Amino acid sequence: MADFDVIVIGSGMSGGWVAKEMCERGFKVCVIERGREIVPGRDYTDFMDPWELQYLDRKTQNDKRERAIQSEVYAFNDATREYWVKDTEHPYEVPEGQRYRWRRGHHTGGRSIMWGRQTYRMSETDFLANKTDGHGVDWPVRYDEIASWYDYVERFAGISGSKEGLDILPDGVFQPPHDLTCAEIELKKRIEATYPGRKLIPGRVANLTAPTEEQIALGRGPCQARDLCFRGCSYGAYFSSNSATLPAAERTGNLTMLHDTAIHKLVQDPVTKRITAVEGVNTKTKAAVTLTAQTVFLNASTIPSAMILLNSATAENPNGLANSSGQVGHNLMDHIICGRASGTMPGMEDKYVAGRRPNGIYIPRFRNHTEAGEGFVRGFGYQGRAYRDNWRQSMNGAGVGAEYKAANQTPGPWRVSLVGFAEILPNFDNHVRLHGAKTDQWGFPIPVLDAKHRENEIALVRQAARDARDMLEQAGCENVVGADPETDIGSAPGDGIHEMGTMRMGRDPKTSVLNGFNQSWDIENLFITDGSFMTSGGCQNPSLTYMAFSARAADHAAKLMKAGEL
Amino acid sequence: MTEFVQMDRRDALKALIAISATGALAACKDGGSTEGKAKPARKAAAKLNTSQMALLGALAQTIIPKTDTAGAVEAGVPAVVADLYENWGDDAYRSYWSDGLKDLDAHFKKEGGQAFADMSAKQQANLLGKYDAKAYGEDGFGGFYKDMKSTVATAYYMSEPGATEELAYEAVPGEWIGCRPLSEQPKTWAT
Repeated sequence: MADFDVIVIGSGMSGGWVAKEMCERGFKVCVIERGREIVPGRDYTDFMDPWELQYLDRKTQNDKRERAIQSEVYAFNDATREYWVKDTEHPYEVPEGQRYRWRRGHHTGGRSIMWGRQTYRMSETDFLANKTDGHGVDWPVRYDEIASWYDYVERFAGISGSKEGLDILPDGVFQPPHDLTCAEIELKKRIEATYPGRKLIPGRVANLTAPTEEQIALGRGPCQARDLCFRGCSYGAYFSSNSATLPAAERTGNLTMLHDTAIHKLVQDPVTKRITAVEGVNTKTKAAVTLTAQTVFLNASTIPSAMILLNSATAENPNGLANSSGQVGHNLMDHIICGRASGTMPGMEDKYVAGRRPNGIYIPRFRNHTEAGEGFVRGFGYQGRAYRDNWRQSMNGAGVGAEYKAANQTPGPWRVSLVGFAEILPNFDNHVRLHGAKTDQWGFPIPVLDAKHRENEIALVRQAARDARDMLEQAGCENVVGADPETDIGSAPGDGIHEMGTMRMGRDPKTSVLNGFNQSWDIENLFITDGSFMTSGGCQNPSLTYMAFSARAADHAAKLMKAGEL
Repeated sequence: MTEFVQMDRRDALKALIAISATGALAACKDGGSTEGKAKPARKAAAKLNTSQMALLGALAQTIIPKTDTAGAVEAGVPAVVADLYENWGDDAYRSYWSDGLKDLDAHFKKEGGQAFADMSAKQQANLLGKYDAKAYGEDGFGGFYKDMKSTVATAYYMSEPGATEELAYEAVPGEWIGCRPLSEQPKTWAT
């Protein structure tokens, strides 16, 4: 008899969903988390005021030493430091001359505590993209098959947004959207008038603006407009495993949470070909851990999930488990952050905002959709905002004394900023592999992260830079500055913190790792629902798609288990 | 631009904003980080001494004087700067501040005939005003002063009196309003 019905490796965005769905269907579930336990409220730092932050919230010498890579992240600061791993303890390598920025948090909920919360559906255009232009393999799923699962996860998670009726960015189950600022309302009018194929909409974000009874019953409340989400939210107002899926799993009585346990290997029965056990170590004591279950879900996130399969190689499977296609670890994707531009918008000096919106604006993809894209396939969308400058800008101006104080006390001009998120094509050569010799302190091989932006990506990045500048200039912004359309190469691979694609789903076991239900073609009781299943990446923030496929895969696995077929 | 690219989303947007504002490059680099500057041969003292603290306090209070709200000294700015110097900075940072304060001390002694801290408030405002105008008006002049000023201002507007009395601050706003008359709350929000 196995220890559990289901083991879920990883408690982050996708693992939390699997845990909830399987617990609610009556299965005994063990979620194995490699990091420490975080208790919402107790371990959150969301009630620190600005004057409680040490060293004016500057990155410390220690941060530069211990968290050289993590401390570059926009969400890293004096109040969130502990959510990011120490790079010194979790090394990885990158081939000479390349860059890869891998951002991670090891604790209950993983990166669902620190995520940006931007929440967008993929469209039929995205699910058809590979088939249409021949990159990667065809998705085994079309929009119509996932739409009801998007509805399902949105209803539970709580997404604020506006219905827009756009093919490229399907509407969902929304709570009321955040207001646009005065300057954003103006910007929207001008951009949509100048470019009939473009839309500017309120960002869609996983923050509750009108919580449902179900959400309130889980202890979640409405967003308090603090914009401190990256510290964890004691109100449970944004979606995380910690605020939503894990409490839902917990209340069934079917959940066992195991922290500080890193899984290194899956063990396959040579005869039945099923996974019979997972093996790893207690990260504190380094004692070996072996656990068994009827079904295993791998949700360790794209890079570690691939590493676990590669590290599970045996004499019969020298290339790793679930890897008869040879695709495990390959087709590593992300989104490129690019095409930044900003400028001031004159006027509206008698208008201001109140509260702090944990969100911004979004301009959905228009290239290779409503407008042509020359020299590239796929596209990019923009996030952005228009706020009035504050003391952080005015303090760098001339003046001393009472006049200087007065200048800093007066809101500055409205400043519009845009930043693009561009799609990366699935490419076999972009991959993660195990280092042949080096391991971490727990004996697990370290990864080599080998990915580059190629011709199509660079063309997208440059177009995003041109389009952002043009839009701001056409919209009447002044002092427009930003990325150079001739030289910009966008953010380094990994920097989008949207790693995905290393165990893609497909229609053919010879060219893909998973079937359309996130189930391994090779191993019937193995499911993988973190970002690694993504056959292509779209240009939208991907977490919602992980959630929808996780819930759908769990439902499928549960049906098979109940029918005695798994 | 390289650093810019390495930063991400929200910070990058902030950085963009900062870069386009006059002389704000320092803000993007932790308000006067000394990375990339040549290491000085001499090692600066581990702490700011009494006369350095007196100069710093007088400069900070002249930049942000007491009005109907706290000035920099009442808001505890010198102690925050001293903490950065002692505990946050590295040797290069300490040398930068130590040398920078020394230069300012010499400048004001020459211009005003006595230590800046010993001058009348009027003379301090007059001389610092001139120095400030030159620093923001002439390329390549007053680099340390501008870094110091932005550090002092940051410490002030992040302090409790700076944020809650001089500016407007709500720990828990409760709701977001995207567009309303400035007259309902005419002060800049602290965060």
